[in-house]
Amino acid sequence: MQAFLDSIAAGMEGVPHWLVYAVGMIAFGAIVVFGFILPVAGVTSWVERRVWARIQSRIGPNRVGPGGFLQWLADGLKNLLKEDVIPDAVDQPLFRLAPYVVVAGFVGAFVALPFAGSLIIADLNIGILYVTAVTSLVVVGILMAGWSSNNKWSMLGGIRSATQIICYEIPVGLSIFPVVLLSGTLSMQGIIASQGWAPQQWHMFHSPFLFAAFLMFFVGALAEGNRTPFDLPEAESELVAGFATEYSGMRSLLFFLAEWGNLYVIGALVTTLFMGGWQVPAFTGNTLVLTAAQFGTFFLKAYLWVFVAMWIRATLPRVRIDQLMSLCWKYMVPIGLVNLLGTAVMMVLVPEGSDVVRWVMLALALFVLLKFGLRVRYHLRRANYGRMGLGAARA
Amino acid sequence: MSVEVEFAEGGEAFGTEEMTLNMGPQHPSTHGVLRFIVKADGEVMRAAVPDIGYLHRSLEKIAEKVGWHGFMPYTDRVDYVAAMTTNQAWAMAGEALGGIVVPRRGEYCRIIACELGRICSHLLAVGAMGMDIGAITPFTHAIRERELINDLLEELCGSRLTFNYMRIGGVAWDLPPGYATKVRRFLDHFEPIVDEFDDLLSHNKIYVERLANVAVVTREMAIAYNLVGPNLRASGVPYDLRKNRPYSVYSDFEFDVPVGQGFHGTVGDCWDRYAVRIEEMRQSARILRQAVEGLPEGPVIAKVPRNFKPAAGEFHSRVETARGDQSWYVVSDGSEYPYRVHIRTGSFSAMSIVDALARGLMIADLIAVIASFDIVAPEVDR
Amino acid sequence: MGYVGNIMSTMTTIFEGMAVTFSHFFRTPYTIQYPDRMPVRIQDTLPYRYRGFLEVDLEICTGCLACERACPIDCIYIEARKDKETKQMILERFDIDLAKCMYCGLCSEPCPTGSIHHTREFEGADFSLESMVRRYVKVPVPAYKPKKAGEDDPAIVPILERGMRYVNEFATADSPGSKVVTPEEVDA
Repeated sequence: MQAFLDSIAAGMEGVPHWLVYAVGMIAFGAIVVFGFILPVAGVTSWVERRVWARIQSRIGPNRVGPGGFLQWLADGLKNLLKEDVIPDAVDQPLFRLAPYVVVAGFVGAFVALPFAGSLIIADLNIGILYVTAVTSLVVVGILMAGWSSNNKWSMLGGIRSATQIICYEIPVGLSIFPVVLLSGTLSMQGIIASQGWAPQQWHMFHSPFLFAAFLMFFVGALAEGNRTPFDLPEAESELVAGFATEYSGMRSLLFFLAEWGNLYVIGALVTTLFMGGWQVPAFTGNTLVLTAAQFGTFFLKAYLWVFVAMWIRATLPRVRIDQLMSLCWKYMVPIGLVNLLGTAVMMVLVPEGSDVVRWVMLALALFVLLKFGLRVRYHLRRANYGRMGLGAARA
Repeated sequence: MSVEVEFAEGGEAFGTEEMTLNMGPQHPSTHGVLRFIVKADGEVMRAAVPDIGYLHRSLEKIAEKVGWHGFMPYTDRVDYVAAMTTNQAWAMAGEALGGIVVPRRGEYCRIIACELGRICSHLLAVGAMGMDIGAITPFTHAIRERELINDLLEELCGSRLTFNYMRIGGVAWDLPPGYATKVRRFLDHFEPIVDEFDDLLSHNKIYVERLANVAVVTREMAIAYNLVGPNLRASGVPYDLRKNRPYSVYSDFEFDVPVGQGFHGTVGDCWDRYAVRIEEMRQSARILRQAVEGLPEGPVIAKVPRNFKPAAGEFHSRVETARGDQSWYVVSDGSEYPYRVHIRTGSFSAMSIVDALARGLMIADLIAVIASFDIVAPEVDR
Repeated sequence: MGYVGNIMSTMTTIFEGMAVTFSHFFRTPYTIQYPDRMPVRIQDTLPYRYRGFLEVDLEICTGCLACERACPIDCIYIEARKDKETKQMILERFDIDLAKCMYCGLCSEPCPTGSIHHTREFEGADFSLESMVRRYVKVPVPAYKPKKAGEDDPAIVPILERGMRYVNEFATADSPGSKVVTPEEVDA
């Protein structure tokens, strides 16, 4: 992007470079935020509601737009038009600022996400470290929201969330280390380049250690995003909406937007680190088509994990805060250290990586998927047995 | 309770003290309007004092005003989650005082209705419990099954929640044609769904971790606090009115009474209370199958005068509702209005034990405890 | 349960739970999309005994006031006086307060002709509470006198038949075999 702006600046004399850069950044930021991030977060909310609905034997929103696709737009508009209720007793500056800090934290991660071979806003050479650091900004925002709400329940929610996110940074970091060891670089494009487009060349199947690292990363990222089974900060039956209780209208929607958008960031990170990113076999010389294919692959892979996160949220109950802590410190951190050690040992013993192990891991994963499919079929069979004829109005 | 801590350098002291939180009457839990005043030290509670009365409708006083027949619809509102069994309690009291014998077919109809109501209630209890713990899907599945039962009961008596099905002397409507088949088809559909519930929720590690060994109620404590129903049976006391003091024609049926085994933790913890309800649903399905197989012929209601004036006296009718032994103490003075009605429900005693159990638990556990005791507000406040 | 046992049981139970939820993607949702995307009117899907709004067929109302006495919540107001010359009951007012009614069915049970009965209507939400009071007597009408030899007025016969069919759904002590069917007959 810097090259692009340089070329514009070269064409305009008399305009200082920094002005071109500043305007370019703001314009580009606006395009990315309003053109990609907000729609993705909004569409994720629609997908989440439809996915949950099908799991719960009901239909989700299906009236606004084709298949309810514009429901998120309607919700967003409604919230913008709502009265901005700010309770008197809250800490005014913190209360107003908190949602924006949270959103800034998650939007900042998009800077380093590699959408395609040439579609990355900034290929920082500390890519993954930058992403981890920026997403920690949401802790500050959540604490601000919980504290300033002048509400004991909100404060509880905020503190729980801050504890959770800070603790789970460690397993997440520990599971990034093996990937960085293998790729030899922190840069996102570099990590993708060290994998191939075929499944057995992905980091996920490199060895059991990396598979465990992948699972840990996913679980830890769910905990970072306050998603079930770690959504104690927003536990509905206890705290109404946790730290976001006192918020109404667009401010509360911003918190939810951050949560849904974060899902996409989680998916994108899993794809980049463990699933080969945007790589497709070079099937055409046309760069536009190739870039589009790469973008599509990346998006689909990331969205697969978004779907899995939603599916998990519909299935699993919540973990209590002390169980969450013990899970982190007693299970995930030791396993993360073992993964790190194992990967390092493997790299010494088998520097190029072992193809046999890769194929075995891939075969094991496919086997587990097959068992899963068979189990699903078993459940379908059992539930359809003796299906009751329902009334005339039902399908 | 306040702890003073002084820092060594700088001389700053800060004290920690308890928070008083209000888990108010409005909160997104399906147990109705209950209020708890929680004193918590961070996440750990020191006390959880219940404040009841938000749903008090003076039903006991209304009975004195509307008379014997007229009170039947009000009994639905005593426990609107499983309304059929409360209908039966009132009808039994009237019959005992008036010396009326219910025909056999009427008893069978009552049992079919009561067991369907029991399944309804337990579905709501386990679904709401799952939702309180965080699993949102089993709740919708439970409600979906409950809708099917509601359809069945709607066909039987015209209403989905407040049935007013029974009358003093029997039941108001006979089974419609084809009903036995419908019940059988429903049971064929339902029994695998209970197994599916087990697969989805019951043994889920996270769920078990949340509930096992939490709020263990020992046998002695359960009896001392007057717990009844599944709460009592989960603590290891095999007491079920349908077996120990059979009323109606329950002695005709073969069924087991599930007792808490401590399968995933200790006997009498929250998981046991949940598991007893799941197993009771299976046993109710068993009773239902036997009831529709063995339906006798005959009338379903005895002859009862419209101007019902039972003999003066008192009667204590006890039924095993979904929430336990509901005791109705009815005093009649020979007129067409009862003199005094007192209802003693299982949820009321369960409310009293929550405070004793909450000491030392975390706030997240309080929700689990309230849900596991299956406390419904209308029963507590009447 | 050891360390490894905990991890294994977590993974297996989560696997099982996710298989159940995934299987739901292949099942039809149970939602009825009321009121616009339904093949039939919702009222036609309700069973015959459904206790919706009350309705009174004044042509067959005998003015016995049994429903007013039976109502536990006093939502039925009837004014009927005996006309001195014709010795007939004249119904002057028959109001049912549907906002107060608790749809229990106790009024339709003692009705001798089935004039007061529950319908299958339930969509009556309105902005004013006064509109919930249904006044069934527009002008004072004489009450109905059931004829011993059976009804012969062709205008009243269908109404009476409908009413009696409704009332006969209720079980009485003298209807031992009228609707009672054995399980074998039911399944046939």
